[in-house]
Amino acid sequence: MQVSKESQEFLKNLRVYLLSSGKNEQEINDIVEELEDHLYEAEKNGKDVDDIIGQSPKDYMNQLADEMPLDLTGVLKFIPIIILGGFSFILLEDAIRGNLEYALLEIIGYPSVFLINLFLIGAAFKYLASTKLSTTKQWLILSIVGMVPTALFIGIYYLDHFIETPAFQLGTFGVASAVVVSISVFIGIAVWSKSWVTIIIPLLLFLPKVLIDMTRIQGDTKLIINSILPFLLVGIYLLIVSKKEQQT
Amino acid sequence: MSSSQILKGILEGCLLSIIGKGETYGYEMIEKLHASGFTMVKEGSIYPLLLRMKKEGLVATTQKKVPSGGPKRKYYSLTSKGEEELEEFKKRWSAISGSVDTLLGKDG
Repeated sequence: MQVSKESQEFLKNLRVYLLSSGKNEQEINDIVEELEDHLYEAEKNGKDVDDIIGQSPKDYMNQLADEMPLDLTGVLKFIPIIILGGFSFILLEDAIRGNLEYALLEIIGYPSVFLINLFLIGAAFKYLASTKLSTTKQWLILSIVGMVPTALFIGIYYLDHFIETPAFQLGTFGVASAVVVSISVFIGIAVWSKSWVTIIIPLLLFLPKVLIDMTRIQGDTKLIINSILPFLLVGIYLLIVSKKEQQT
Repeated sequence: MSSSQILKGILEGCLLSIIGKGETYGYEMIEKLHASGFTMVKEGSIYPLLLRMKKEGLVATTQKKVPSGGPKRKYYSLTSKGEEELEEFKKRWSAISGSVDTLLGKDG
């Protein structure tokens, strides 16, 4: 069964819209499959997606979303995972740098940034899925959403220098346990989500640094390689993944 | 009440009636609606309604293989609550249409 490009686009957007509205995944699959079946039959009879959904896609998506309950447990389930994953990320990076001292401000601040970020990404995807925008505008919105957490992280970093909050320092044993805990969290999330992402991304980001530390490369070369290589690798990885997705 | 809300209420009654005549799926419902002259009904608009009717327990769904092969298709049938609702709708409708007919008849 193959529906037209426009229909596929609509179904894809509908899925993103409902997912970022916090609906149950099973119910989303249900309605998307049902509409795909309908679109297929309708297209056989010479109708197109605009004939089916009428009005604006956004209104139609909203009508469907209104009739679907919020999957609160499904949404809440993600929050500890995101916080845990995010924290492990920071912990692992700092452990490799050998700097494991956290002020209370950071311990509260970082998870808050993850939550704000999660909320923003959800809102942005919901908006993008339901509104027809030029590619430039889409990228503009995504870049702004992408910059917010960075800005907040920098904000926390500087605020930390101005405000004294109790600090916790981890010794050698602490660093070792932090590394073990972080790696277990990444593996745990990978198993839970049945996806390699949380193993591959940290690997690409952190492994080059560890390997370069073992070589004799020093000074500026080391700095440049360390700051560019990880992001280049992640970029290539994401490119490969998106190519694969398009093929299926 | 806006005109689209009135239409929605009527549409729900019609869907109950169509489903009541035997298990059916979305596209077939639309074909039957259009065949009865409901051409102003946008095809997609039945799905939010069907979602609500399922939530309210008026209809039940089952996934079945399409006879011609291919993916599964969702079939709707009435629950006993749905049958009661259909009877209620028929009563309401004959009262409304009777009154409207009487009124229009007087005018004409």
